[in-house]
Amino acid sequence: MYIFKRVLTMILTIWVITTLTFIIMHSIPGDPFASDADVLPEEVLENMRAKFNLDEPLPMQYILYLKNLVQFDLGPSIQSETRDVNTLIADGFPASAILGLQSLVIALVFGLLLGIIAALNHNGILDYAAMAFAIIGISIPSFILAPLLINYFAVKWGMFPVASWGTWQHTILPSVALATAPLAIVARFMRSSMLDVMNQNYIKTADAKGLAITGIVIKHGVRNALIPVISFIGPLAAFLLTGTFVIEKIFAIPGIGKYFVDSIFNRDFPVILGTTIFFSTILIVTLFLVDISYRIVDPRIKLTSRGE
Amino acid sequence: MKEEKRMKKLIYSLIMVLTVVPFLAACGGEGASGDGEGKQEITVNAMSEPPSMDPALATDTTSGWVLDHLFEGLYRKNKNGEIEPALAEKTEVSEDNTTYTFTLKDAEWSNGDPITAGDFEYAWKRVLNPETGSSFAFYMYYISGAEAYNKGDGPVEDVGITAVDDKTLKVELNAPTGFIEKLLSFWTFYPVNQSVVEGDENWSAEADSIVSNGAYEMTSWKHDNELTIEKRASYWDEDSINMEKITWKMVNDATTYYQMYKSGELDMIHTLPIDVISSEKESDDFKITPYFGTYMYMFNVDKEPFTNEKVRKAFAMAIDRESITEDISQAGETPAYGFVPEGVDTPNGDFREQSGEYFEEDFDKAKQLIEEAKKEEGWSELPSVELMYNTSDNHKKIAEGVQEMLKQNLGVNVTLNNQEWKTYLDTTKQGNFQMARMGWIGVYVDPTPILEYYLGDSPNNRTNWVNEEYDSLIAESKMVQDEEKRMELLHKAEDVLMEDMPFMPVYHYSQNFLTSEAYKGIVYPVNRYPDLRYAEKK
Repeated sequence: MYIFKRVLTMILTIWVITTLTFIIMHSIPGDPFASDADVLPEEVLENMRAKFNLDEPLPMQYILYLKNLVQFDLGPSIQSETRDVNTLIADGFPASAILGLQSLVIALVFGLLLGIIAALNHNGILDYAAMAFAIIGISIPSFILAPLLINYFAVKWGMFPVASWGTWQHTILPSVALATAPLAIVARFMRSSMLDVMNQNYIKTADAKGLAITGIVIKHGVRNALIPVISFIGPLAAFLLTGTFVIEKIFAIPGIGKYFVDSIFNRDFPVILGTTIFFSTILIVTLFLVDISYRIVDPRIKLTSRGE
Repeated sequence: MKEEKRMKKLIYSLIMVLTVVPFLAACGGEGASGDGEGKQEITVNAMSEPPSMDPALATDTTSGWVLDHLFEGLYRKNKNGEIEPALAEKTEVSEDNTTYTFTLKDAEWSNGDPITAGDFEYAWKRVLNPETGSSFAFYMYYISGAEAYNKGDGPVEDVGITAVDDKTLKVELNAPTGFIEKLLSFWTFYPVNQSVVEGDENWSAEADSIVSNGAYEMTSWKHDNELTIEKRASYWDEDSINMEKITWKMVNDATTYYQMYKSGELDMIHTLPIDVISSEKESDDFKITPYFGTYMYMFNVDKEPFTNEKVRKAFAMAIDRESITEDISQAGETPAYGFVPEGVDTPNGDFREQSGEYFEEDFDKAKQLIEEAKKEEGWSELPSVELMYNTSDNHKKIAEGVQEMLKQNLGVNVTLNNQEWKTYLDTTKQGNFQMARMGWIGVYVDPTPILEYYLGDSPNNRTNWVNEEYDSLIAESKMVQDEEKRMELLHKAEDVLMEDMPFMPVYHYSQNFLTSEAYKGIVYPVNRYPDLRYAEKK
């Protein structure tokens, strides 16, 4: 029952997002067919508008769009002569997803480790070092970090290719650049959460019982400290998986990140809607997964709707 | 005590994990591969995914760059940039210069089909078919019946393109057209394989379904990533082609592609990041070539103060173009004192050099013109002026420079305003501007595509300036066959334009390149990206 209700809410949310995007998108000035080389006869322009249903009144366009959307057809792209929106996303998403997954793994593994070490060494040298690193990681924007990484690891030391996509070597530098900020955030989150937990009575009890410190830290400490961190992982995963404009541009990665931005500049209406819907779907689904994973980490949390 | 030791041990082991994992990952990496020694191949940068690989639909120079290597029309440009017959074995022209009969060479498509006159007829009528929605269909309006068909006013049967037999193509023109060979080398006039296009609506979307007729065939196309073409053994002129394999990467970020060039991942790049131009200028790899386009500010002649011609001229005279190109844009552009850029060969030499500079930068004269205009119009003060440009760092820097110069040299305060591109196009099209930035590049190297910009009925002409003499001079130039006479008419047209000055030219564009020393024989046309067919790797 809970899951059924959740799915229903998810669909409703996507519908609201679609509608809002549709309205906002059509209220910005500018014509998708406008260019500095305005050479099209009006007759040809009309043909092209008809091809994208742009000759219909807006409510009709909206209905037509929803009709296609229900059949999972996101429509043709105005900018690309040959690929429709479904193909654009199908072509670009794998690259974005690989990059996102790798950075997510890097951010989680190293972020959590760093946070745990800092907490265990509270106010020690390691704690300060880890938090200094975290502050630097959060404050350096990726468009500065990425060229720095390229300059040293690719140009000066030749360990990795500068940019482009194809082999796993191509994925390393962008993954690191993309992971740094979330890694730092995860580390800080984990540290404070860990500190909190380690002062709880049940840890002291476990300690008093003479349990091995490793067991205490992992079984009782880390597991409980993870709960607040998980709430942050959901949206983070959605953002990382759906590609980032800056990193994909700097490293010339054939992902979908750039379509979020380019489509707006080009007034490529179907792509604007398509990418927005795609992103919201991923976000909503990951949030749902996060809710479920709470239950696994903390059995006290029950998956119920309010009032039940 | 003991507990603290254990805790330390735990921390150390965590640190171990933290450091060992990336170390192992790094050991696995062996860096970029460097195979293909001695093979004739080159990797260049297309900057972005080419929007279309269909000759009928392509409208941009990136698509054109790849298409020009994949396809070939009746005519082509040779190593020296001259037009020469390609698939046209023989060309017969009727007495009145309006009917052309082309006999085709024996040549094959990349799938082995023979190239027939029917493929040309099919391809061109497809461009003109209003349902195709080709933006460049108007380049075919010189053919009889073409305009009517494209605009939905006439039947396809009336279009003067006929495949008489497999080897003979007959083309009827509205009037004699002097630059027909130039037009025919342009990608919109490339043939397509009729059975391939009819068989698959999406034939031009992927490498394995594209069938080409030029020196190369496409072997791989990873969208938004890279595109590779390889030389065809069955190409009729196979011997003259050196380069065997060309790869286009799609890297948009200037700093990134510059670094890829530095690390050897790209063999040639263009449009360098502005901050490295001064340091690369001395390098042997560096090259600047003129580009067939003009950067300008349009005046709205219906809005004060630009209703007065003297104000327009004064503005044009009051900026220091050398300082703009040397200190602001810095990419090797040439200051512009006319509309048609250099690069057009005429019987009497370069078109631009022939007509020379239409005005001089003269600040005193400019001030004087403003005073005269004020008197003529009865203005006590010059009406306020807003300069518009589309949002971009480069345009902003130039606009600020111009603002400063107008203040210093002319004593006029202009305000700046910028809009994002598509909004900007809307605003300027509706004439909601006084003075606005625009750039224009000629698709083929001739004064006509440049000068047509300000025709009275041109949709690009946003200035509200309409001049009958100008329109009729250009119309007349399209009818004459004699090149010298044609150029004379076009010179006269430019004279009329520059006399009225509905716009002020700022500079003619340039292209800059870094090309690895290993390559010789790359051709750099003035209105296209480099022709790599004849390039040779040492």
